[in-house]
Amino acid sequence: MNLVRAEIGRLAARRFVQLMVLLLGTAFGVTIATTLAGSHQPTAFEVQVAEAQAANQRANVQRWYAECLEAERTGASELSARYQGNCEDVSPDRVDASDFLSGVFVFDQQILDLTYFLIAFLCLFGFLVGASYIGADLTSGGMTNLLLWRPQRMVVLGTKLGTLLAGVLGLSVVASALYLGSFRLIAEVRGLPGAPDAPFWTDLGLTVTRGLLLVLMVTALGFAAATLGRHTSAALGVAAAYAVVWEAGGRIVMGIVDVARPDQLMLSSYVIAWVGGEIRLWAMSGECAPQIGSGYCDLSYHILWPAGLVVLLGLTVLAVGGAFATFRRRDLA
Amino acid sequence: MPAVIQIDGLRKTFTGVRRGRRVALDGFDMLVEPGQVHGFLGPNGSGKTTTLRTLLGLVQADSGRMALFGEPAPQRLPAVVGRLGAIVESPQFFGNFSGRRTLRLLAVAGGVPPARVDEVLEQVGLRDRADERVKGYSLGMKQRLAVASALLKRPELLILDEPANGLDPAGIREMRDLMRGLAAAGVTVLVSSHILAEIQQICDHVTIISRGRRVAAGPVDAVLAGFDHREFRIRVADQTRAAEIIASAGLPVTTHADHLVVADLDDPARLSQALGEQGVWLRELTPLTPDLESVFLELTDTRPRPGVPRQVDDSVRPDRPADESQITLGADDGLQITVSADDERAQP
Repeated sequence: MNLVRAEIGRLAARRFVQLMVLLLGTAFGVTIATTLAGSHQPTAFEVQVAEAQAANQRANVQRWYAECLEAERTGASELSARYQGNCEDVSPDRVDASDFLSGVFVFDQQILDLTYFLIAFLCLFGFLVGASYIGADLTSGGMTNLLLWRPQRMVVLGTKLGTLLAGVLGLSVVASALYLGSFRLIAEVRGLPGAPDAPFWTDLGLTVTRGLLLVLMVTALGFAAATLGRHTSAALGVAAAYAVVWEAGGRIVMGIVDVARPDQLMLSSYVIAWVGGEIRLWAMSGECAPQIGSGYCDLSYHILWPAGLVVLLGLTVLAVGGAFATFRRRDLA
Repeated sequence: MPAVIQIDGLRKTFTGVRRGRRVALDGFDMLVEPGQVHGFLGPNGSGKTTTLRTLLGLVQADSGRMALFGEPAPQRLPAVVGRLGAIVESPQFFGNFSGRRTLRLLAVAGGVPPARVDEVLEQVGLRDRADERVKGYSLGMKQRLAVASALLKRPELLILDEPANGLDPAGIREMRDLMRGLAAAGVTVLVSSHILAEIQQICDHVTIISRGRRVAAGPVDAVLAGFDHREFRIRVADQTRAAEIIASAGLPVTTHADHLVVADLDDPARLSQALGEQGVWLRELTPLTPDLESVFLELTDTRPRPGVPRQVDDSVRPDRPADESQITLGADDGLQITVSADDERAQP
């Protein structure tokens, strides 16, 4: 317990952590401020015009929707090829008056994208703080000093990781609540809340939850990489090298050698699948089953969030396990 | 009562892609009894810090046995760590924390009452600078902070690696007084230092290491006595004549520019009489007692040679005890000196 208290104190007192919290707050503040400045409460006239435009749009879409359903039912090749997929994409129910309101923040339509932004920033925060927290301790001699007091390497490293994850989670929960609450408030006073129903809240809740879990995994990965490399920059180097060598270079090479599904080999696909619930990707080549009566060949495939969880969690467990195993027997300077 | 520190046959080899394989400890032994102020000496790179790091669990030994307060280390280190305070090599602290915060965090981690922080800050003379960031501290101030951290736990054993590093003369004296005070209070102190005069002043026992092996160990007086050749420096008007007289008396004599050194002289009166009978009168007769520095330089063979730059690893490498070349002098006093049969020099 004493060690936990000491580590909480150490984490909170780190200037880098304080600076990152400040930057995080600034980024969120700027986002909220620009949204606030760019939105206004629509007048009755604006709402009326938007509703009229939406009604007109619905009438057009209704015809396409009916054609799509008919093509699905009869298998008419010409129509089926035109719509290429799910008829719900052209459902009139998807047309909303808020689509025709410019300069108005609509909570239920825009908050999901803003949530992805929130998660991305929290991930960056977690990775940098996680890497720096242990990296600085290893290079500054803080770890050596601590081990002279508590010569239990696994306990010390585990406490550091636990404290870090708890701290990042706590901050992320508070930041998420403030962030989402601010946009909800903006929607109430200078925009529109839309029509958030139960499925919307469930979807948002799951997205935030998965996002927070991603933040914890990324934080642990930063911590593990810096522990393995004995330095903060090791984690940054690994991240940069992965992005450049694999996500960019590897993708190009795989394109040249005609790998059918390069996206399936990219970590970013699993990150998006995990946070968004699923990701639809298109194979570069491969066999497909043309839809009956049409020449359309659908090479798309999906990665769902459970696959994302397995890959990300597996990577995290591997990295953290490797870091602990290495640290257990490492000679410390 | 068990020994405070017992090390037997400690071996450690560092391997690196660029540096290759380097033997840091090669069967090193050490014994520190309760209440001793024990000096730990050795040339640069001889294995002092590696020994201390290994003892404290920071470096993994290849083989050998270690015990602290009778408990095997590093396995039982957590059980005894509350009884020891240590600083190892250059003090390293997080630069953006103040001295007080640094100590408070350690105190919290170790379950030490916060009030103790102010006590040790006062004790090491950092009271008025405690709230400044450590990165603004001088080396000497960092050293004081390191000592303060080691004292926080009111240790029964204090391990200090180069505690005088960076200290000003007053600081060195304060450090000496501090160690004396701790020793008087019953604290066992193991101190490694290159300031041999300091060691000689404050330590009652000493262990000397060279190239990973022990070359001498025991009470300081006994170690010095082992190198007392009963030498005297004499000055006379006719140096050549005096040398002939002394040699004819069967005493080894060495001629220097302005004096003679006579060895194996049990009774100075005998020399005075022999010279006087031949009409040579002494102007000076001074006993040459060995000091720790000369003994250290002799044992480790690191005495500077004019015009020959000495490399870091140029020190004597004693043969292993298994080679039966270990000579034990004054065993009753617990003194052990291991000397090389062939004065083997370090090989790259």
